[in-house]
Amino acid sequence: MSVYCVDSLSIFLPDHAAIPIVDGVCFSIAAGECLALVGESGSGKSLTCLSPFGLSAGLASGSARLGGTELCGLAEPQLRPVRAANVGFIFQQPLSALTPHLKIGAQLTEAAMQAGATRPSRQDLTAMLDRVGLTRSEEKLDRYPHLLSGGERQRFMIAAAIAHRPKLLIADEPTAALDASLRHDIMDLIDRLRADYGLAVLLVSHDLASVRGHADRILVLKDGKTIEAGPAESVIAAPRHAYTKALVAAVPTLGSAAPLLPELGEVLLKAEGISISFQKSGWRSGHHAAVIEASFTIMKGESLALVGASGSGKSTLGRAVARLGPCDTGRVLWQGRALPERRFMARTDRIRIQPVFQDPIASLDPQWTIADIIAEPLKHLCPELSVTARMERVSSALNDVELNLEFGDRRPATLSGGQAQRVAIARALVAEPDMLLLDEATSALDVIVAAQIIALLQKVQRARKLSILAITHDLALARTFCHRIAVMHEGRIVETGRADDVITSPAHPATQRLILASRS
Amino acid sequence: MNRPLSTVAMIVVLALIAPLVLEWPHDEIDWNAVRAVPLTGSHWLGTDNVGRDLLARTLIGTRVTLSVAIAAAFVALVIGVAWGAIAGWVGGKVDEAMMRIVDALFALPFMFVVILLMVVFGRSILLVFLGIGAVEWLVMARVVRGQVIQLKQRPFIIAAEAAGAPPLAIITGHILPNVAGVAIAYLLLTVPQVVMVESFLSFLGLGVQEPLTSLGILVKEGADDMDIAPVGLLVPGGILVTLLVCLTLAGEKLRDRYSG
Repeated sequence: MSVYCVDSLSIFLPDHAAIPIVDGVCFSIAAGECLALVGESGSGKSLTCLSPFGLSAGLASGSARLGGTELCGLAEPQLRPVRAANVGFIFQQPLSALTPHLKIGAQLTEAAMQAGATRPSRQDLTAMLDRVGLTRSEEKLDRYPHLLSGGERQRFMIAAAIAHRPKLLIADEPTAALDASLRHDIMDLIDRLRADYGLAVLLVSHDLASVRGHADRILVLKDGKTIEAGPAESVIAAPRHAYTKALVAAVPTLGSAAPLLPELGEVLLKAEGISISFQKSGWRSGHHAAVIEASFTIMKGESLALVGASGSGKSTLGRAVARLGPCDTGRVLWQGRALPERRFMARTDRIRIQPVFQDPIASLDPQWTIADIIAEPLKHLCPELSVTARMERVSSALNDVELNLEFGDRRPATLSGGQAQRVAIARALVAEPDMLLLDEATSALDVIVAAQIIALLQKVQRARKLSILAITHDLALARTFCHRIAVMHEGRIVETGRADDVITSPAHPATQRLILASRS
Repeated sequence: MNRPLSTVAMIVVLALIAPLVLEWPHDEIDWNAVRAVPLTGSHWLGTDNVGRDLLARTLIGTRVTLSVAIAAAFVALVIGVAWGAIAGWVGGKVDEAMMRIVDALFALPFMFVVILLMVVFGRSILLVFLGIGAVEWLVMARVVRGQVIQLKQRPFIIAAEAAGAPPLAIITGHILPNVAGVAIAYLLLTVPQVVMVESFLSFLGLGVQEPLTSLGILVKEGADDMDIAPVGLLVPGGILVTLLVCLTLAGEKLRDRYSG
């Protein structure tokens, strides 16, 4: 028997009454079943989940029945008790979904009592936290949300979402903000709760591969329309629609064929014994070490991936090497010559390494035009160029990243994430550096856009014999364009080796965990 | 009040143009019409206790009050933005020291400081400008410092550093343009505060000198005679209140837009 049944659901935004954002979506979820809604950002998947419950700006029409109650057309006062009694929600950003000034225990009490239950005892609350695998649950009840780690917060949010024993759990990208190994744990937890309590789960994700093994059925959405629906394994193994095929192909897996990589030249960059520590926050005294005695080399034309869980120090190390962040001890040798400290980097030093960051929009100055942004490195690093020569270089850089010349006059706010990241890559390449620093350059993008960016980087890498230092938490992604992989764990490089060797025979437990996470 | 800035603009235009076309200047005494009631001859609002045209005096007073306010707010903008930007950009011990100075100045009763300056250096309109501006920059410095510290972490600033931009180019090219919106919003909020301070000083007799006048002086004189000639209090008082409310509304609107 189905718990939640949606039939030809359309969703309109209040000020665009003519065009539906979501158009005629049908699905149903039985108790104990998991349905995944998959699509890129803007495909309407979040609206589909939230609008029937009155939790978004969208107006739902059609039919959405929850255990026999029709939700579409129900006014907010009648909708509230239905929502409170039967539905639990998990959101992407656990920190912003939790009330910062209320302790964990108080929020859990509120969640448990929303459907009219009696006030739970402290033992009940502890049991709820135990159920989602939170350790030392008793003392966690008196903590504030910001004192928990990302994974703990997401576990707590799940505990709060199921505290009132709902029939339906809606999980909107529950793992997108977590790193690979935590993703795995959280999805396992949701699976376990689903089996234990017979929960119907509606899972939303932009990543087809990440729902594999967890969802029973998959519904692929594009531009608000259902593209493909069916049992999970058959959709992933034999997609029928071209878009679904592209989604499947876009995600690199550990099993895909080894890529063609450029040949190596002499030693380009050598980092020796780099250690970085930060002052502890707040009133606590002392330092905590972010990077400890890290050393590595990169050849001309070689790509090295620094892989690790979040908090392992990989970004700090990458920035220290490019002299864009603090560095306490250790040296960086560029073709045998030591690079000066951050403040003393001359333009001849800066021209060698250029960065590309994770958040493409935030890495472009919102006040500048795209042409000015791309021209900035030329202005400072190649001051001998005339204005016309500079503009020519900007045009050819736009060309290299497959953007139209008209983009030059636009401003960052008008770009999509993928376009903005192309601009950031054009800026990094325009002064013709020898090495790129890619700091999670694709992890904020949709899977298909990310695949396009990777293809672009592979093309540039081959054409220019570019060296790359790539920082990522994704081993499969690292393998698509990196010769070697260095695994970081708690500030140390624990394993370095050829990409295939590291993946087929991992020596360190941290590597094994990462591999397990990217297999799931 | 839906368009606060247009109301302010209307008052400014009136204050700039109207005194040129009025029959009586603000400092000339009409011996035939001392303490005249409104609509006496060509004195639309009547005259004050020595026979000067009240409408002309009100408009000149608006001019003086607004120019003091704008000049002082400008001083506050220059000092505040420079101070805040340097403290926020350099950070560390320099930031500590600079912000402790701001804290110390905040602790001074600033009206008292302005009065003290007047007493020491004598009364002059320039001193009113500088004195008020020099204390009004404190809030601006704090706001700008906060913004700069936030911006400094943003990837586009680090990208500019990687692009070889020297610190000065980063501050003028990336930081200041992105702080400008917030700074202008707080500038608009500073202007009404300065208007208040100037009016208060003039009310105490420490502001601008006769025969020049300001809204504060007019309100004081009007208050002295409000039982026999209420127009003398109501008109300058009304203009003062309208200016303060409109500028505050506009400033708050802008602030909300830029500091989200």
